[in-house]
Amino acid sequence: MMSILVGLIILLSVIVLVQILRVNELVSEVKDQDPNEITDKDNNIQGILTFSIFGVLFLGFVIWQFKYWGVHILPPASSLHGATIDTLMNFTLGVILFVFFLTQPILAWFSLKYRGRKNAVAYYYPHNNKLEIIWTVVPTLVLTPLIIYGLNVWNDITSADTSNSKVIELYAKQFNWTARYAGDDNTLGKANYKLVEGLNVLGVDMEDDTAQDDIVTREVHLVVDKPVLLKMRSQDVIHSAFLPHFRVQMNCVPGMTTQFGFTPTQTTAEMKEQEGEDFDFVLLCNKICGAAHYNMKMKFIVETQEEYDAWIASQETLKNSLTLN
Amino acid sequence: MSEHHKETFLTKYIFSLDHKMIAKQFLITGMFMGVVGMLMSILFRLQLSNPGESFAVLEFFLGEKWAPGGVLDPNIYLALVTMHGTILIFWVLTAGLTGTFANFLIPLQIGARDMASAFMNMLSYWFFFAATIVLLCSLFVESGPAAAGWTIYPPLSALPQAIPGSGLGQDLWLIAITLFVVSSLLGGLNYIVTILNMRTKGMTMSRLPLTIWALLIVAILGVLSFPVLLSCALLLIFDRSFGTSFYLSDIIINGEALHNTGGSPILFEHLFWFLGHPEVYIILLPALGIVSEVISVNSRKPIFGYKAMVGALILIAFLSFVVWGHHMFITGMDPFLGSVFTFTTLLIAIPSAVKVFNYLATLWRANIRFTPAMLFAIGFVSTFITGGLTGIILGDSALDINVHDTYFVVGHFHIVMGLSAIYGMLAGVYHWFPKMYGRMMNKKLGYFHFWVTFISAYGVFFPMHFLGLAGLPRRYYTNSAFPMFDGLSDINEIITFFAIVGGLVQLLFIFNFFYSIFKGTKATENPWGSNTLEWTTPVERIHGNWPGEIPTVERWAYDYSKPGAEEDFVPQNVPLKEGETEH
Amino acid sequence: MQLNLKKNKASKQLLWIGIVSIVMFFGGLTSAYIVRKAEGGWLEFEMPVWFTISTIAIIVSSALLLFAAQNVKSGKSATTLLLGTLFLGILFSYSQIQGWGDLVAQGVYLTGEGSNASGSFIYAITLMHLLHLIGGLVALLITTVKSKQGNYSKDNYLGIQLASIYWHFLGILWLYLFLFFNYS
Repeated sequence: MMSILVGLIILLSVIVLVQILRVNELVSEVKDQDPNEITDKDNNIQGILTFSIFGVLFLGFVIWQFKYWGVHILPPASSLHGATIDTLMNFTLGVILFVFFLTQPILAWFSLKYRGRKNAVAYYYPHNNKLEIIWTVVPTLVLTPLIIYGLNVWNDITSADTSNSKVIELYAKQFNWTARYAGDDNTLGKANYKLVEGLNVLGVDMEDDTAQDDIVTREVHLVVDKPVLLKMRSQDVIHSAFLPHFRVQMNCVPGMTTQFGFTPTQTTAEMKEQEGEDFDFVLLCNKICGAAHYNMKMKFIVETQEEYDAWIASQETLKNSLTLN
Repeated sequence: MSEHHKETFLTKYIFSLDHKMIAKQFLITGMFMGVVGMLMSILFRLQLSNPGESFAVLEFFLGEKWAPGGVLDPNIYLALVTMHGTILIFWVLTAGLTGTFANFLIPLQIGARDMASAFMNMLSYWFFFAATIVLLCSLFVESGPAAAGWTIYPPLSALPQAIPGSGLGQDLWLIAITLFVVSSLLGGLNYIVTILNMRTKGMTMSRLPLTIWALLIVAILGVLSFPVLLSCALLLIFDRSFGTSFYLSDIIINGEALHNTGGSPILFEHLFWFLGHPEVYIILLPALGIVSEVISVNSRKPIFGYKAMVGALILIAFLSFVVWGHHMFITGMDPFLGSVFTFTTLLIAIPSAVKVFNYLATLWRANIRFTPAMLFAIGFVSTFITGGLTGIILGDSALDINVHDTYFVVGHFHIVMGLSAIYGMLAGVYHWFPKMYGRMMNKKLGYFHFWVTFISAYGVFFPMHFLGLAGLPRRYYTNSAFPMFDGLSDINEIITFFAIVGGLVQLLFIFNFFYSIFKGTKATENPWGSNTLEWTTPVERIHGNWPGEIPTVERWAYDYSKPGAEEDFVPQNVPLKEGETEH
Repeated sequence: MQLNLKKNKASKQLLWIGIVSIVMFFGGLTSAYIVRKAEGGWLEFEMPVWFTISTIAIIVSSALLLFAAQNVKSGKSATTLLLGTLFLGILFSYSQIQGWGDLVAQGVYLTGEGSNASGSFIYAITLMHLLHLIGGLVALLITTVKSKQGNYSKDNYLGIQLASIYWHFLGILWLYLFLFFNYS
């Protein structure tokens, strides 16, 4: 019944549209005009519309969004390298917005200013080598510092010394995260996917001496201002470990180990003060991985050394949890 | 040459060898798929703005199984996202755009009776048609269509246990895309050979209209990159169907450990993006070509810097082969490689900037005639600037770390590639409609269509940058699982509102299109006062294009408002006057 | 005549550009091979002798085809030589299948427990080459029949030319793959 009604409405509106167009064309015929010829009046209206919509409404909308939606943008980075990314981002954004607010108004202004008139003639101007060289060279000059600056930041992030970092493994699977601390020896025990069984959810090889003191947890605690090295593995499909507040992201690929090192600079408590009581650092999955992709998360907590020591002491090592049970 | 054999309905409309009819077949199939893809996006936008709410329209289209109680199932959400991407990228913006305008314009603008091989051309369409049928069939598979994203990264796309769509749906997807690649290759070979061999007398390469330059480069890109996609898909088919380990390694799925070891999903990504990135330009370049033509004709001015425009096209095409790694900055690739890809990627900004400034220079001191086509062309310049600029952020490996795979990317590529290419395509349809059907499209509906499209398109995609900067990942069924995204629901509601408005107004365009085919006012031979050769053909469209001799080309395509000429345009077949120099 | 020449040129160009895209296809596959091999865990094994026989067969077939084209150009019949080429082409296909048999006997499997990507690659790539070659065989068959019917002459031998270009290309492609598997 509903679909018949909808179908009728659609049919009716098509008929109405056809009739309107026919009447429109008949009126033009009577006036001896071509209804689809572009007149000076059309050029005036469309020129003014182009200027007001491209140049005023759209640019105004962009500014409005920065004003009212800017608050949603992530807070400043809570990690050492993240701060350098933020500076680079602000610099790049500045350049981009400058070019944006330079070229879009020109486009809108030209459309209004040079709207056509019946008897006007355009200026024949096929090329100008000097101008073309200028607008090849200027973008190049603007891009050069952007590229160099960007590559510097990239190199600093990817070549950071991680030899003193606390090693933590992130293990991804449909649809949750597990973490493994490397323990006192700061070395992760070997693992093999064939060993995944029962409580040994990560497939850790318990023959390996370095595995004994490893600690498996369901949330990650970090010490503020102490470097960590995250090593990622995946059990089934590609996932991506995304920690937006730390500006950290790295894919987790089955069959290989990837890593990302960083140093948190703000504790959860500090962030709660700044952003509100319900704030938490969180790990998201950022690579399509199946039905519950949107709900694959783990809590990260940054705290002081004392708080961390107390927490880690309360966790069981693999040796205890796997062999005693 | 003017063979007049009896044409039946079947040879004229279905198994036609005429390039103009084949172009229309591509266009109408593309438009149909465009509606399907758009409808999908509106369905999943409803879920994103009103997560978990019940909609009768969802149940109407998806049924009780995929939208139980009118609420979208998460697996089907991913399937819709995947099919939306596949359809829009391959079916609408590759076949619908290039297939239409390459077939229609190449013989007409270079002065040829038809393509080099009309038969291969027909075959190209029918392979495309078969691909379409297979893809549409996959929508009705019990386990749902492919759902691993249009990039079909394995292992997700290889394991039916990981997501239901990776079963039969993914098989059909792979068959469809194989047929599609064959179609593109047949078409691409033909376009290249036609442009190189069949140009009329006097049509030197330096007199080619920019549309033809763009289509030539696109065809070359396609011939070089589509086979690599095929090899990439082939290995995936082996992994899926025969149990090889090209892309699979160390996997436990549903509690079962698979035997595969040593495979690398990253290998897939490399092969995939070696096609995938040129594909972006396969989509964009025809639009650049069309827009150059439309802007020049309606500005009544020569396109500014013709040689620079051609050079920029070639440079963009070349660079597109050496930037694929910028899709993979966070796969753990060698940081040095990441630097190289950042460098090559940001270089693309230079030829792109040249193009934008040349468009602006063309508009300077012009005598702009605002046809609907011209409005879409100006809209293209705007979206090309907006989307191109955000590309500078994404191409920078250090910045990419935090915006990779967020809505920032979604906003970026929908503006620079989606909107720009769609605007180019719509500009082309409005502009060449009189030549395709001998009638004019309704002007007022065209204006209305443009303004509503322009406003709602920016309304949909610009706010997405803010979602991305807030850290919201793409392909999330809902953002309600994370308290940090709670503030974003008003943005999502606005986006959905504009998506529905923008979608509805496209139906008006389709109405205008079909109404004008049958009832539009009659067009004259050259309604826009244009210089290129297609406008010297009669309104009555015939097999072989010109009733008599093919005209000879005497000048470039952009003599608009040339001082000393009687009218503000001088068609390409008009000889140079005594003492007149070419541009 | 003018038009015919133009058409001949266009047909050859179509084929050449088609060949370029086939090169890209195999380029994709062999570069995947290199990348995968560099990652380690790679099973090394002997190439079956049958593949050497394939190589000889396809080289000789190309030579015969060259002579066949010469014959047509000088107005003689090419049917016998074309038949020889066709026969060697079939021999090539046969030796490929035998080669796979040898590989299986060596314990190199396409798939399943104990299979290795190095083996899977060999099967996948040679199979793809063989599929392209079957297209070549069909083309040769058509030219042979046409030659038997006397359809070719001194001025009209485009069909043989096109089939030759494609067949020689397949030979060179095989030679590349054979050297690639042995020495990469």
